[in-house]
Amino acid sequence: MRALTKSLILMAAAITMACGPAHAQKSGGTLVQITQPEPPNLAPYISTSGPIGQVTAKVFDGLLEYDFDLKPKLGLAESFTVSPDGKTVTFKLRRGVTFHDGKPFTSADVQFTIMDVLKTNHPRGIATFKEVTAVETPDETTAIFKLANPAPYMMAALSGYESPILPKHVYGVGDIKTHPNANAPVGTGPFKFVEWRRGEFVRLDRNTTYWRQGRPFLDRIVVRFIADASTRTAALEKGEAHIAGFGAVPYNDVRKLSALPSVEVTTKGYEMISPLVEMVINTKKAPFDNVKVRQAINYALDRKFVIDNVWFGFGKAAVGPISSNFEPSGLFGAGVDFTVPDRIERANKLLDEAGFPRKADGTRFEMVHDITPYGEEWQRFGEAVQQALAAVGIKATLRYEDVAKWLKRIYTDYDYDMSSNFLYNLADPVLGVHRGFHSDRIKKGTVFVNGSQWSSPETDALMDKATTEADAAKRGALYRELVTKVTEASPVIYVHELKFPTIINKQYKNLIDSPLGIYGNYANAYRE
Amino acid sequence: MKTFWQRFLLNPRVIIGLIWLGAVVLVALLADVLAPRDPFAIVGVPFAPPGGAHWLGTDSLGRDVLAGLAHGARTTLLIAVLSTLAAVAFGTLVGAIAGYYGGLIDDILMRATEFFQTIPSFLFAIVLIAILSSSAMNLVIAISVVSWPPITRVVRAEVLSVKSREFVQAAVVAGQRDHAILVSQVLPNTLSPLIVTGSLLVATAILIESALSFLGLGAPNQMSWGFMIGAGRSFLRDAWWLVTIPGVAILLTVLSINLIGEGLNDALNPRLAEL
Amino acid sequence: MGGAALGRYIVRRLLQTLPVVLGVVILNFLLLQLAPGDLATVLAGEAGGAPKEYIDQLRQRFGQDQPVLVQLFHYLRNLVVLDLGYSFRQSAPVLDLLLARLWPTLLLMGSTLLLSLSLGVGMGLLAALWVRTWKDHLISVAAIIFYATPLFWIGLMLILVFSIKFGWFPTSGMEDVVAFNVGFARVVDIAHHLVLPTITLSMFYLALYARLMRASMLEQRGLDYVTTARAKGIPERTIVTRHVFRNALLPVVTMAGIQFGSLLGGSVVVESVFAWPGLGQLAYQSLFARDFNLLLGIFFLSACLVVIVNLVVDIVYVLLDPRIRIG
Repeated sequence: MRALTKSLILMAAAITMACGPAHAQKSGGTLVQITQPEPPNLAPYISTSGPIGQVTAKVFDGLLEYDFDLKPKLGLAESFTVSPDGKTVTFKLRRGVTFHDGKPFTSADVQFTIMDVLKTNHPRGIATFKEVTAVETPDETTAIFKLANPAPYMMAALSGYESPILPKHVYGVGDIKTHPNANAPVGTGPFKFVEWRRGEFVRLDRNTTYWRQGRPFLDRIVVRFIADASTRTAALEKGEAHIAGFGAVPYNDVRKLSALPSVEVTTKGYEMISPLVEMVINTKKAPFDNVKVRQAINYALDRKFVIDNVWFGFGKAAVGPISSNFEPSGLFGAGVDFTVPDRIERANKLLDEAGFPRKADGTRFEMVHDITPYGEEWQRFGEAVQQALAAVGIKATLRYEDVAKWLKRIYTDYDYDMSSNFLYNLADPVLGVHRGFHSDRIKKGTVFVNGSQWSSPETDALMDKATTEADAAKRGALYRELVTKVTEASPVIYVHELKFPTIINKQYKNLIDSPLGIYGNYANAYRE
Repeated sequence: MKTFWQRFLLNPRVIIGLIWLGAVVLVALLADVLAPRDPFAIVGVPFAPPGGAHWLGTDSLGRDVLAGLAHGARTTLLIAVLSTLAAVAFGTLVGAIAGYYGGLIDDILMRATEFFQTIPSFLFAIVLIAILSSSAMNLVIAISVVSWPPITRVVRAEVLSVKSREFVQAAVVAGQRDHAILVSQVLPNTLSPLIVTGSLLVATAILIESALSFLGLGAPNQMSWGFMIGAGRSFLRDAWWLVTIPGVAILLTVLSINLIGEGLNDALNPRLAEL
Repeated sequence: MGGAALGRYIVRRLLQTLPVVLGVVILNFLLLQLAPGDLATVLAGEAGGAPKEYIDQLRQRFGQDQPVLVQLFHYLRNLVVLDLGYSFRQSAPVLDLLLARLWPTLLLMGSTLLLSLSLGVGMGLLAALWVRTWKDHLISVAAIIFYATPLFWIGLMLILVFSIKFGWFPTSGMEDVVAFNVGFARVVDIAHHLVLPTITLSMFYLALYARLMRASMLEQRGLDYVTTARAKGIPERTIVTRHVFRNALLPVVTMAGIQFGSLLGGSVVVESVFAWPGLGQLAYQSLFARDFNLLLGIFFLSACLVVIVNLVVDIVYVLLDPRIRIG
């Protein structure tokens, strides 16, 4: 523990120079970003809806930022120290930082944001800051987090995207849930909110008094909303828009765009998000309560076919609930390999053993497969899964419902057999992985938690230990054991790690400079 | 003066329309023979262009487009015909009652009809699908619910004009029951505008189904032309045949239904046709 | 006819429509209650997962913890003072959201109506004049091809050809968001953005008007007054332009009017292809988010407009055809 603390302090010192002097970057230019779909509001402190962060991460700063190995860098915090017992985290805040309305940023804003807003209202903040009992503010530039138990994962969740720091004098007035500034954010970030024309765009202009000298370089960011996927491609192709990510462009169009001299494509910038394609199985319902049936389905899926033909190569077969993006931090582990060459024979054998021999028509049993209502590739995925299951004698019928109905079915009514799904690992397994199969996350009515309703005392214990274990190596060992047990039981089938392509116009540089990618702040981006 | 059938069947437009529509119906009936496998089966490499082992090529997952087209004809026609029949039956009933009885009943029924017309019809269909979820049956329900009001208006107007004629009045005086008069005397006289409007509804139903599929709201387990268009739309620039082939099938079918509808209209109203 | 009589007629018609609109509101409200899932679940879903307490908190805030009839009562009470409620998803009053989308919708629909009516009437007129010649067949077939070609296909093709290949028009949106033009330049810019969506949407309606115009022309030409006029020796040209054309226009105007009412719901497909900020997209999104305050607002607006348009159509009728009397 002490070694860790020391290394954190050293690192903090080493990265103070993170933002070096500007080189030949020219100031000026408007960047047009495509975000899909249009965000419902611009209130990242009460909603983590994907598109919101793509806009607001430019307006709000966090205490910390992160490098591609998920190691913290300094943001609004000038330095930070973690006490040896892991229960006190002290942040020294930058002086002279002002909000977009000109008022100074102080430790009171940090206290307000964490205790009054994120810990009580933010969908993930409720879990992230669960252990925080108080934020003490001995002076204007010091914020001390007091924790009931060590919470190493919290240190990975302090970016401007995940935990935006709000001005108390603005958001502290009136009800935070229906705050008028929900659609007109005020922060300390490199860009100021100017206007949101619904159905069209959000306009952000350069913050001329940004605390990083000489930043940002861009004069303006316009975030456009284009509902049709092919039109989004056309707008990027024509140069009307300059950046788009998160599947905003159909995967097959990405190839076409990357062939253009004006466009580059990267899959970097999702290291702190780590999206995983999965199949959730209702383990309380026969025959899916039988582990052999679940394993058979797991073997039956053709991961390669799906990655190649539905996601056009933008994926990597998953080997467990934890993404390989956690390899650098030592938390990654591989489970049972379901991609073995004789997987079909194994699946057939397992189903025979489970007591579902093939009937005269070649089928074993029928089931309904719900499709994630997030767009076309999910329909194709469902159809491919249907064919894969047919190969082992399972006759699957597809059901496609809208988001509200689907969520209710999977997470409230538990009225399903199997559903495709799409979850983020986020910055730490505690935040993104545990929710999938911990017994305390079997919560009727809560979405994107343990919908398969499977848990075991063993795996629960492993997760509880990993939550408070501060030593990364020991955590890694706990997670490797967990991954093996979970993949054996297969309550959720981990299909593949989704590699979202981000399409960037080559005129613009430095846009993706953090593991948060489009959720970054573009302070260092410039136009050539 | 030629007979109705002569006027109808000797019209070249009608002949063209009947040939195509007949072919589509035949393919729909024989889909299982022409393409015995499940149209969703992955049978080849993805994006094989037409002209190879698969005559009309394969789609993004390697499914045979020809098999999709044959089985799709069945679903598409079935949805269109069933929803039209439902809309015509219900619309006729409401329109006939409203027109025949008049007064308060007429007022209530027509206000109810108006309600269905205040919501933009395509949006209304989407609302219904959101409530019912997408399946072939629910598509039929949604399409018929949004398309019966015009039928009601047509029938009501016809009934109003027929009602006052002598033969109906004679039946009333003769003491025939209301429903008997409606069925035997009034409705047969509303048949001609009904057939014309109804035939166009079939075409509209096909278009609604394809538009719903475009938005991803089609029935996920039934291969239909709309489904094929919806699944192929992303590949418009990479694999032209995926949208073009079912698109042309829809276009020709809608066109032939229109030609037949117009032909019916001309045959039923010879005075107009002979101008 | 006196202006006063017309005024009285309008007032009476408007009074008659009040109960219809009220009924529509109530029925819509109840209809939407049938949809499974609610706004709180969707918001939590969009947030990528949220604790139960959070969802309960949301429901309470939206008033969804109360019985349906109580909710309906509150809604109607607010409606009396034209308060259409608050969109919790978009954190803004419904009326503001609707008004922001109204003028782009009117702009697109107005220009579409103008283009499709003028072209449609022209095509129908020519087809009727050339009835049963190859030109007539050609026009009819062309009209049906326009009608039956999926709108998104036409839209995307226009973008590919005129926007990407030739670079004549922007791909999408309502105005240039890099330049942010003002004054007359902005008007030109918006008009420039309006061209492709208008053409696309007009294709669909064009066919209807062309067909109707043709049928209507043929019907009028067969009527007695035309025969009489011919007998009087009035030149065919005068008959067509002064009498037949004018009367044939009536059903087309009616149709256009009825359609305009429903057009205000916008076109989900064309708006989404061209990223046009209209009401159709707004309605579509709010349905799937279960943002019913917003959706009910759109339905209410649409109902009011249908009613008003019907009235306008009737008045136009009166003005076009002096034989029709009001009352």
